[in-house]
Amino acid sequence: MVIPLAWMISTSLKPDAQLLVFPPRLVTSQMTLAAYTRLFELFPMARMFFNSVIVTITATIGQLVVCSMAAYAFARIQFWGKTLLFLMFLGTLMVPLQVILTPLFIEMRILGWVNTYAGIILPTMTIRVAFGVFLLRQAFALIPRALEESAFMDGASHGTIFARIALPLVRPALATLMVLAFMDAWNSFLWPLLVVRDTNMMTLPVGLSALHGRYSTAWNMVMAGVVISVVPIIILFMSAQRYFVEGLARAGIKE
Amino acid sequence: MRRVFATMVLAFWAVAMVTAAGRTEEETSSVNDTEIVYYTFSASPNHLEELNEIVARFNEQENGVTVRVEAVGWDNYFTRLESQIAGGSPPDVFELNYENFVNYASKDVLLSLDSYLVADGTFDRNAYYERAIDAFEYEGTQYGLPATFSTSVLFYNKDLFDAAGLDYPDDSWTWEDALAAAQELTDRENDVWGLYSPVQFWEFYKKAEQNGGGLMGANGVTIDHARNVEALEFMVSLIDEYQVMPREQDLAGVPNEQAFLDGEIAMLVSGIWMFETFRDADFAWDIAVEPGMRRKATHYFADGLAVSSETDHPEAAWKWVNYFTSSPEMVRTRMESNWGLPVVQDLDLVEAYLEQTPPDNRQAVYDSLEYAIVPPVIERQNQMQDIIGQAIENVLLGNSGAASALADADRQVRSLIE
Repeated sequence: MVIPLAWMISTSLKPDAQLLVFPPRLVTSQMTLAAYTRLFELFPMARMFFNSVIVTITATIGQLVVCSMAAYAFARIQFWGKTLLFLMFLGTLMVPLQVILTPLFIEMRILGWVNTYAGIILPTMTIRVAFGVFLLRQAFALIPRALEESAFMDGASHGTIFARIALPLVRPALATLMVLAFMDAWNSFLWPLLVVRDTNMMTLPVGLSALHGRYSTAWNMVMAGVVISVVPIIILFMSAQRYFVEGLARAGIKE
Repeated sequence: MRRVFATMVLAFWAVAMVTAAGRTEEETSSVNDTEIVYYTFSASPNHLEELNEIVARFNEQENGVTVRVEAVGWDNYFTRLESQIAGGSPPDVFELNYENFVNYASKDVLLSLDSYLVADGTFDRNAYYERAIDAFEYEGTQYGLPATFSTSVLFYNKDLFDAAGLDYPDDSWTWEDALAAAQELTDRENDVWGLYSPVQFWEFYKKAEQNGGGLMGANGVTIDHARNVEALEFMVSLIDEYQVMPREQDLAGVPNEQAFLDGEIAMLVSGIWMFETFRDADFAWDIAVEPGMRRKATHYFADGLAVSSETDHPEAAWKWVNYFTSSPEMVRTRMESNWGLPVVQDLDLVEAYLEQTPPDNRQAVYDSLEYAIVPPVIERQNQMQDIIGQAIENVLLGNSGAASALADADRQVRSLIE
């Protein structure tokens, strides 16, 4: 776990000539921040970082809101065609992104959303909604009926029960989904690559992919970029790790 | 929890509204200018600054056209281009390497430039290297203009040649001369290999031509031609029989260019884009035109610019194509930064390039153009390359003889075309 990280940081600090020296060395006498400086010269790194943050936060929050409400409905409310609808929902999990890429792009063009945040965020968010709904539905299904019934007795509506009783009880599952959604959005590459047309609208993964040239790859700059983009993920994972593990362990266990 | 949730919903909508509304304003210099998009891979990752410089100069001309660059790495370039073409919103001008050019031209997605070539007084066909401009013609129509080329050459480590007391390679060398030298130079005790030229499709099609064969003839597929079999047998014999060339595993994952730089390979067939990497080598090196056999042949890598047939601004797009492929400013910027070679005929323009060292013998780069060949291109190019690559691999691993492997590949490629 530590060695790849150490290697990443070490490579990002090496000058060009030291990159592929054999045998490899973790620490050399010529450590330099040149790759970082050049990265900031070549790309609007701050802007890209900001784009990534905006896209990720919006997509993550959006996914949590939409998924939790839909999952609650699927788990707790009776309505006509519920099972069929849920199966169709799950069915979308089997459609890979590549299949819908072109139609989605045409849709964005018609909406005028090419090269906008909305154009990046909404598809990034909705592509994984089915998974989130599935995960949270399992969590909601675990809540004892008795809790809900007694709330009904006291005159609570579905909205109240959802917000005040059910949601707090599925916190671990929400945290899990949050981490997964965050990582998905932060790392998403193919869709933003297509829909973004302007360097200033690029997210980090898209912008940094330009470092892979046809004949050569600037590995020290790639690694410097990875260091910059991986730090938020590590921080988030560490702070949510407790919920993360708990949530995964619980998902799918029936009483 | 309820408050938290409500806040989250609100926050989400707030951000969503702001971001949907806040489209970035284009940074165009003048309102009346026609903006065109130029989509490119070749500037990534090392020449983005130079590209921006050329674009800035073009935009300063105030000829009513502003260029906006979309630069993407090679790996994802075509995925994105194909989706945008399929999605009905392709970039106005885009870069294509020769192999893909043929593919795109055959699919009617490129604009014919013929009328502009005639109408634009600033265009001069003779400014371009003839073979290079011809390469971007498809079925009699000019669908693109060449921007840069690269060739493959023979790199050699002068110090190792001196130590062995051998003459340096020159343009008259054949495979046999190279092999003889490689045998002298190979010194396994000191980890020195005589020669390295990759055993794969790109090298094979070229070696086949050097031997007087070729993968495609006037009458179709000729992969199992006896000359081709000979060429493949020679490639493999360097490893098996003569043991002057390392296998991939002998290099233990070190790229062959790095092994050359480490002084472990005396002669290397590679592209001229390695000049910059090799500049700081701690030994003397030079280049020569690649050795041939029955004839000489060098791989010609060409990148050109093409205009989308769906562009709204064909005139503006043409201006940029013309500027980016032949203007003296472009030539100068490229020369100064070693960013690919412009395909200009007039060698005075590239004098600055020829004077730079190392290598001393830069003239060999342009000499190589005399023998330039391009790979065969068919519609299902990738499959053809896979089939032939597989055959080469099988021979390399000793699974089958060169003749039977190529006969097999010949059959498969034939069925691909039919």
